[in-house]
Amino acid sequence: MHRYLLLLLALCGASIGLTAQSFTATGTITDADNGDPLIGASVIVVEAASTGGVRGTVTDFDGSFSIADVSAGTELRITYTGYEPTTITVADNSPLNIALSPDVQALDEVVVIGYGTQQKRNVTGAVSTVDSETITDLKPIKIEQALQGTVAGVNVTTQSGAPGAGLNIRIRGVSTNGQNAPLVIIDGYQGDLGTLNPSDIETITVLKDAQAAVYGTIGANGVILVTTKTGKKNQPARLSYNTYVGTQESSRSLNLLNATEYALLLNEAYAAGGEPLPYPDASGLGFGTDYQAEVFGNAPIMNHDVTVSGGSDRVTYSIGGSLLNQEGIIGGDKSDFSRSTARVSLGLDLTSRLKLTTNAIYTHIDRRSLSENGLGSVLFNALNAPPTLAVRDADGEFSLVPSTTGLGIEVINPAAQIANTFNDYGLNKLNGQATLDWNVVDALTLTGRVGFNTANSEGRNFNRQVSYGGKVFDVTRSSVNQNAINDNNYSLDLYGTYDKAFGGNHHLTATAGTTIFRELGNGLFATGYDVPNNAFEFADISLATGTSPEGARDVGSYSYDERRLSYFGRVQYNYAERYFLTAMLRRDASTKFGPQNRAALFPSFTAGYIAVEEGSLGEASPVDLLKLRISYGILGNDQILNNGYIGSLSGEATYVFDGVLVNGTAIGALPNPALQWEEAKKFNAGFDLSLLDYKLNVTADYFINTRDNLLISNIPVSGIVGTAAPGSASPTVNAGAVRNQGLELALNYRQRLNNDWRLSLSYNFTTLDNEVLEVNNGTGFIEGGSFGVGQLAPSRMEVGLPIGYFYGYRTAGIFQSADEIEGAPSQIALGAAAQPGDLRYVDVNGDGVIDPNDRTYLGDPIANVTMGFNTQLEFRRFDFTAYAFASLGNEIVRNYERALSDVNRLDYYLQRWTGPGSTNEVPRVTTAATSNRVFSDFFVEDGSFLRLQTITLGYTLPLPIAGREGSSLRVYFSGNNLLTASDYLGYDPAASSGSPLGGGIDFGFYPIARSFLIGANLSL
Amino acid sequence: MHHKQVKYILWALLALPLTACEDEFIGRDPVYSIDSENYFNTPSDYEKALIGAYDLLQPTYLNVMLGEIASDNTLAGGESATDVIGIQQVDDMIHTPVNDQLDNIWDWMFAGVNRASYILEFQDKIDFPGKEQILAEARFLRAYYNFELVKWFGPIPLKTDARFSLGDETTIPRAPVSEVYAAIEADLLAAIPDLAVTAPQVGRAPRAAAQALLGKAYLYQEEYAAAAEVLQAVINAGNYSLPEDYDGIFEQSGENGPGSIFEVQYTDAEGAGFGCLQCSEGNVAVGFNGIRNYAGPVFDGGFSFNVPTQEAYEAYEPGDARREVAILDIEDWAQQTGATYGTGYEHTGYFNRKYLARKGDSNIGDQNLTNPNNYRAIRYADVLLMAAEALNAIGQDELAREYLNRVRRRAFGDTDHDISASGDALRDFILRERRLELLGEGHRFFDLVRTGRAADAIEGFQTGKHELFPVPFQEIQFSNGNWVQNPGY
Repeated sequence: MHRYLLLLLALCGASIGLTAQSFTATGTITDADNGDPLIGASVIVVEAASTGGVRGTVTDFDGSFSIADVSAGTELRITYTGYEPTTITVADNSPLNIALSPDVQALDEVVVIGYGTQQKRNVTGAVSTVDSETITDLKPIKIEQALQGTVAGVNVTTQSGAPGAGLNIRIRGVSTNGQNAPLVIIDGYQGDLGTLNPSDIETITVLKDAQAAVYGTIGANGVILVTTKTGKKNQPARLSYNTYVGTQESSRSLNLLNATEYALLLNEAYAAGGEPLPYPDASGLGFGTDYQAEVFGNAPIMNHDVTVSGGSDRVTYSIGGSLLNQEGIIGGDKSDFSRSTARVSLGLDLTSRLKLTTNAIYTHIDRRSLSENGLGSVLFNALNAPPTLAVRDADGEFSLVPSTTGLGIEVINPAAQIANTFNDYGLNKLNGQATLDWNVVDALTLTGRVGFNTANSEGRNFNRQVSYGGKVFDVTRSSVNQNAINDNNYSLDLYGTYDKAFGGNHHLTATAGTTIFRELGNGLFATGYDVPNNAFEFADISLATGTSPEGARDVGSYSYDERRLSYFGRVQYNYAERYFLTAMLRRDASTKFGPQNRAALFPSFTAGYIAVEEGSLGEASPVDLLKLRISYGILGNDQILNNGYIGSLSGEATYVFDGVLVNGTAIGALPNPALQWEEAKKFNAGFDLSLLDYKLNVTADYFINTRDNLLISNIPVSGIVGTAAPGSASPTVNAGAVRNQGLELALNYRQRLNNDWRLSLSYNFTTLDNEVLEVNNGTGFIEGGSFGVGQLAPSRMEVGLPIGYFYGYRTAGIFQSADEIEGAPSQIALGAAAQPGDLRYVDVNGDGVIDPNDRTYLGDPIANVTMGFNTQLEFRRFDFTAYAFASLGNEIVRNYERALSDVNRLDYYLQRWTGPGSTNEVPRVTTAATSNRVFSDFFVEDGSFLRLQTITLGYTLPLPIAGREGSSLRVYFSGNNLLTASDYLGYDPAASSGSPLGGGIDFGFYPIARSFLIGANLSL
Repeated sequence: MHHKQVKYILWALLALPLTACEDEFIGRDPVYSIDSENYFNTPSDYEKALIGAYDLLQPTYLNVMLGEIASDNTLAGGESATDVIGIQQVDDMIHTPVNDQLDNIWDWMFAGVNRASYILEFQDKIDFPGKEQILAEARFLRAYYNFELVKWFGPIPLKTDARFSLGDETTIPRAPVSEVYAAIEADLLAAIPDLAVTAPQVGRAPRAAAQALLGKAYLYQEEYAAAAEVLQAVINAGNYSLPEDYDGIFEQSGENGPGSIFEVQYTDAEGAGFGCLQCSEGNVAVGFNGIRNYAGPVFDGGFSFNVPTQEAYEAYEPGDARREVAILDIEDWAQQTGATYGTGYEHTGYFNRKYLARKGDSNIGDQNLTNPNNYRAIRYADVLLMAAEALNAIGQDELAREYLNRVRRRAFGDTDHDISASGDALRDFILRERRLELLGEGHRFFDLVRTGRAADAIEGFQTGKHELFPVPFQEIQFSNGNWVQNPGY
């Protein structure tokens, strides 16, 4: 009914306009709080859509405007960033005085919460959002980066600084030894953040607590809801074009020994080991080769994206495309990344009660990569290669790192390694959705949605025939590995929403529906040998002439088909917009679970109470709003191996009969018919507080998340059941529990200081306390990770300690003299009897000897506190933003030093022990056997850091284009990752493989690049 | 539209998938997957499963290497004192129940037992010609794996013709050694008549392999008459001989030769990695034994483990051609050929030449894990010496001497070094001959233990403890009190 009235009014207005006298409307627009004139506010004449075109103007330096050719009854819409928009009706030609009120933090802003939306004021779960402005400020290359430091409780770590490398998002900590990645929902369907173009995104909403329970068995790790950009109704076509170009460089290089220092240190080590000096004359060696300088370089980065959007009264549209090219700071185009995307979004009002919205995104990704973060990676080699060795020999060929005991068989010339690396990865992906909303009657809307992802990728890796002189990386026969992978999924949603106010103060919203989800795909892998000319140009299986010897499989494949059928219901009730209660129930049946536990029920509730509202404490009170919130719910995590409940013949059975490989069948991983989801019990209590006319907003939450029934895959079981056979594995068993608890606080302060200055500050922090509550596998712990070569596993998950904590020997300084060793427990079980200058280990169990039983907690990779600090400052047409992030209390393991006598070392060895009293920190150097290289706290460092993520300075130039009000060009200069304050000796304290067990061990991470960008945003 | 109608439509829409499709939609079978409990439907299924049972022979490289290192023949070596700590500890007789390599042997051998039992569990499912041969090979393999287990760990759990399942570790006791041997004997006695005298394919077990293993099992139990009988059956059948060229036995060309009764087959046809050493189709021990940072002719490099001691080198008499075959004197070799090499931990100047990487293989990555050298598991010379030992024990010294001297004549190329001793003196000669003939082949430690000579020969060996290796710590925990650790650990 309402709509018809509006239509009628509009029609009337138009008809009056035809007959009335026209005149020029003038007026002044001011700040309602302080009366300052507002410069650059836009004044638009609201006219019937049929007239086409848009008329309007912007206010000048005095805040005044004039618009010709209006008549009595004409509506003017006044908008200004940071203020609530208003519409006034012109009565006559007398000057108008219009006061705009500052936008009150948009409490009527709508937040997506999964299968529906809710006014922000009414949200009772722990929900955070990141808007497109923040994304624009941060200019993330991958969208995950926009969550770092901007949302309390969300931690983002990069697996590597290599272009295109994956990022790990952890919402409220690491809760499982399995998959911790949150669920990502893009416009209502299950999707993937990794391939999105950041500038296509309108908002990101993070559901951190039981609010996510509407997603049942897939919501335990938290839910990230992405809303992509759409056009707006009744808006002429607007074009926005964003671009930046820049250069990247390594943010750090480590202090390695130069050739002379290296030679002298080697001499000392050899002398101590009773061996002849390798460099009897070290003079004239100079600085030698700086292998870090050889592998690092400046690398360009460039991005363009363009969007056209707009709408009529029944249609909205948004069309965009983007292109990103990034080269790597190691190896240039050998580690590059390019992404191009195209996107179409369309909204149609088919009838007044039937709406169709649809969008589709096409993404193409191309990536090349180098060996990284492992024994034998490029940086590992750059750190260990001897500086006395020139990069190239006299013939111009790459020098070979000698294959000697002192240099091992893994350290090779990193420059040669880069030159011999050839690979290529390409991904094509199409994802999108179509949604039909049928407003059956005023109170009831039915929604049907189809969402889909279809991706195919191709990988190619060429192993050039090459000799590094007897190293493990020698390739005696060239080969090319190729693979083709198809991943597809679709989801069908059908749900109804019933929304009704009754009895004056009661308001009820009920949602019920079903979701069907299916993912299916396959991968094909093949290898061809003897590539023509030993060259990448010919590296295709069609040209490769050779195969493996008879019986060896040069091909492989896999397929999967996983399904989930879910029903859900949610009731949201509020009384007088002050008391809020939400209850949710979801039932999931999934092919992931065994026949004994095929379906699961997940209940949850959230509640809220608005204790203080604007004015309820009197005009003088600074408090505008105080909302108390509480929630509790049970959610599931189903991200486990497929078909873990069925025993299949997927084992490896390969032997040699008649001199030829023969392939048979064998049992794969042991099944567990009782396999079920992990269960997350999430408690959250918090409040939202707005003060000082909504200038200051505070959100605080306390949470306790307990994850039960952890799916421990390959759980250690008695060897008698045969799980150690090739291709077999222990079963996946629900056998553990982990608890995360912590506090989140987010402060936002916005202040318009005067007409010239505007300021916005935000700060958030999260504390996290992680404790393993149960590991029910017989031993009480699970081991993981690796350190050095052939050493015991350094990471553990064990009851009473944080998940993935570091487990090794504790040291108590250095043995200064033989006398000290005399009275100390024997260290011989660690490999060698102690000598003066060796690390002194602590006899933790007090049994009088140092042995593996003395290993203990040495730290953990989980930050106790993370915080973000973000500033935006505007002065007239200048804008300045700075984003910083800090992580405190996490440890990191230095594991990029090969424990061999002749490798290069960090310069802390210049402060090594050389005699009694010389140092109590760094052990002596010797070629003789020592136990100084076993995993101890000597290798565990404080990984705390403060990082200045982004600083941007911009200048906006309004473009006076007729008929294109609000057109502007902004140019900016930006620096990313400019500064990292940390005591860590390695490249990057922030990088982590993200593994729950074995994370935080640094094999020579590819560091995050520091970049300098110059960019422009054009808006027409 | 009336509200009522809407309600009906809504309910109908929601109820539709609820009732109809859940079972069908979710109850799908996994794609492209064979259920392990619905197998053995064709003869080929049995053959395929048998390949799986043979596969676990390849990981016995570790038994061979560690059996040698534990003895007085070799030292652990490696890069440093902490390089593969489990191996270092066994060498020094300071091993504890926490030892990855011992755990591997336990796990891998039981995996072999289970793969053989898988076939026997379904032995009656279908009938076809040739099934007896397959079942007999499965029994031989189970006996082979169980024999390894009883050698290393003593009492072990047994289950007849069925795989172990989860929970058995808390209910099935460790059977006494005598029962384990009884099970080994039963499997071999059942297998012998059904095994072909000449195996259907090279690499599969011939009848003599089961007989020789049975003889060995008797010998370990000091049932000498039974041992002599079955070992003599192998000898008298005349299907095997001692190749004249001792050196040639251990080269590629000597594989599966007339002196080999059973060999564990390896190949360089497939790559391998440290993540799954038991998955390698190559002989991992060969890469571990390899000369550190070697550059030169004939051999490829490796990790310098398992290095022979000076004492072992000197144990050979002058004129014994076997010394130069079994032990490579690297300094000498480097001088002759200009080869270069590195020195690892416990460098003795000697390498285990029988199982060193040879040049000429495909060196597929990781080249140290994919060496194709077959392990000569049961050699005819071993059978002769075992027979000699058994015969000596039952007073038939003449025949014992004959068998012993056959082995010695090949070693020296003459009859001047024949042994003429009798009784206990002859026994000493036979046991010494076993060391020299079989050096580097993984038998020494267990020969010393079963003859009660380990404490004298091995530094750190404690009688009453080190005869057996500890059951892995985790296994004792998994058993939840069902199993007790071996004495002394």
